[in-house]
Amino acid sequence: MPASPQTIFVIIPCFNEASVIKDTVAGVLEKGYSVVVVDDASTDETKQLLHGFPVHYLRHRINLGQGAALQTGFDYAIRKGAAFLITFDADGQHFSGDIARMVETMEEKSVDIVFGSRFLEGSDSSVPPGRKWLLKTARYVNYFFSGILLSDAHNGFRCLSRKAAEKIRLRENRMAHASEILIQVAKLKLTYAEYPVKIHYTAYSMGKGQGNRHGLRILFELILYKLFR
Amino acid sequence: MTIIQVILTAFVVLIAVYMYLRLRTTLFDLLLILVFAGAGVFFVIFPDTTTRIAHFVGVNRGADMIFYLAILFLLFLVLKLYARIRRLEQQFTELVRDRVETEIYKK
Repeated sequence: MPASPQTIFVIIPCFNEASVIKDTVAGVLEKGYSVVVVDDASTDETKQLLHGFPVHYLRHRINLGQGAALQTGFDYAIRKGAAFLITFDADGQHFSGDIARMVETMEEKSVDIVFGSRFLEGSDSSVPPGRKWLLKTARYVNYFFSGILLSDAHNGFRCLSRKAAEKIRLRENRMAHASEILIQVAKLKLTYAEYPVKIHYTAYSMGKGQGNRHGLRILFELILYKLFR
Repeated sequence: MTIIQVILTAFVVLIAVYMYLRLRTTLFDLLLILVFAGAGVFFVIFPDTTTRIAHFVGVNRGADMIFYLAILFLLFLVLKLYARIRRLEQQFTELVRDRVETEIYKK
């Protein structure tokens, strides 16, 4: 049974993405999904730009980080009756066309969560070489912490069932949330699958993306996460 | 008494008085402060006693033993403080989340 598009909630966390947020939101709205923009206290004109778009606009009064923004979006979408929750990057690197196939994959394989992957066959993403080794290392770091080995360690594109979203509770406010989701999936014994998604690397998304320095910081946050429950 | 002994004694006494003025709660607190400050002053004035304890546990000098213990204690404090910061951050996050500004735009 295909899900009604309105019950698919696409959660887009953003922080100062005014130059791209309109296109990203428009692309998702085109497919008829419910869109939840979680503005993490942007200081640009994100809010004004979204006027006129039929979206749920949530705004943190103080910047908390992407993990916190996602959790805010999860809480909201669950309250609004979401059946599926998609996490989607604001910077335009994901394709809204992949959403339907993520949901299909979830139903076909009857899993609780589907992770987008750049490295599965059929993904058609040209990952820049400098980033490749970082992601390869991160894969094993995640495996070490969670026991789950994904082909892509840090992909912002995911599909969660309502059940999964209700159970997962992100406490890592910043970037370590991507690994925290894996840790919780393992702990809560949720089932998962991967789906090859297209990633469109632009100069903008590369500039915004995370370099090696961020990788080290995430590692540090993960160790502390493990130390303090 | 050497100059360093005067300085250290003065500091320990000052900290003890400060803590007493700040906390001034129960007799137990006062007792705790007195015991710790008293021990501090005692070891400053009779440093050889720490050396004897150090020899007993297998460290050459009393000052070294105090140094090792201080590092351990500070490390413990850092971890405790970090745990508290994380807890505060989680409470703060809930607060910001409760007060999230919500607007639903219609077509």
